[in-house]
Amino acid sequence: MNEAMTQSLRDYTRAAAGGLVIGMPLLYTMELWFHGFLLPWWKLLFLFAVAFLLVLGYNAVAGFRKERTFVELFLDSIATVGIGIVISFVALVVLGQIEVDTSLRDAAGKIALEAIPVSFGASVASAELGGEEGPARRQTPHAFARLLVGGGGALLFALNIAPTEEVVMLGVGASPLQLLAVVAATLFATLVLVHYADFGGRRRKTRRNPSILDAPIPETITGYALSLLVALILLWSFGWLDGASISAILAMAIYLGAVAAVGAAVARLLVSGGHEAGAK
Amino acid sequence: MKRNVVEWAVLAVSVLAIVLVVGALVVEGLNETRPANPHVELHADQARQGTLGWIVPATVSNDGDQAVEAVILEAEATVNGEPETSELEVPFLPADSSVDLAFSFSAQPSDEVQVRLVGFRIP
Repeated sequence: MNEAMTQSLRDYTRAAAGGLVIGMPLLYTMELWFHGFLLPWWKLLFLFAVAFLLVLGYNAVAGFRKERTFVELFLDSIATVGIGIVISFVALVVLGQIEVDTSLRDAAGKIALEAIPVSFGASVASAELGGEEGPARRQTPHAFARLLVGGGGALLFALNIAPTEEVVMLGVGASPLQLLAVVAATLFATLVLVHYADFGGRRRKTRRNPSILDAPIPETITGYALSLLVALILLWSFGWLDGASISAILAMAIYLGAVAAVGAAVARLLVSGGHEAGAK
Repeated sequence: MKRNVVEWAVLAVSVLAIVLVVGALVVEGLNETRPANPHVELHADQARQGTLGWIVPATVSNDGDQAVEAVILEAEATVNGEPETSELEVPFLPADSSVDLAFSFSAQPSDEVQVRLVGFRIP
């Protein structure tokens, strides 16, 4: 076995380990197992496809091979999701959630859902924990690329909450004033998190031609809007919007959106770091 | 960038894994035509005396293509001349799946146990 192959093995091992670390909480979440057979097949495919696109986007922005064509990027993303599927399958078998008499539809549904966080974990581990080739050399990516990565973070974080009933409980009991407070707190927390908290060693140079979306407040607002969209997609996917009133939908989106926004903020931080303007 | 054997192998397994998961969902999904159909099979031959009563094992199955939630089953039998019921709830019953459970009566019934499906929730 030559050096390149050893390095590849190491990369995939790291990706698998990262997938396991990030995916563990959701691999142990029964609501996710149940939704694997309760959700209609096309919703599962939809979520899986969205996750694949976000993994592709994240790999494009932060992936481990710096110079590559779109085909290579695409194949790398296939491998990332493949690792996610294999790890999810093994974990679900070990946990007794896929057994010999489990129907094919049931097993495929569970794997499709669990593979989402595991693939994200594999993707992040490949890009961020790769030693010398890690993020230190990277420039802050374009605002849209960062938003895309933020979408991945939003989906990953909110996926931990979306299948459980807490969001509905919170949404049902919310007053308009509380909801406004949640929106304000979310915007404030994510603004501080991304632009002012100055997480160690994460500060990088601002891009040469910053767009309006690179400024702290517009960046925070667009990140939040995207998080609300991700929250709505998840609420719809898990069936919480069925028969819900507009005000209930709004309340649930705001509560789940807070979780999604923090995830999006962490993800944006991961690929960009604080801005010079904000971090002074 | 050139790929080595390890990378090709991982890629091949990955493609296979994705095709299997997506293929299973699509093929099974497009063939979902039968509505949910929870039904119960009593295992009278395995009925036995337990410390707290007469235990009748049973299997509840769903041979429909839709999963159901909160399946409530009610078994009725005559015990010591009086009608007695035993009620159970199965939280989740996926399509083409079964769950083992047991009804229980205060003593061995004098007639055959009858099971009725009280209802279920459609997710």
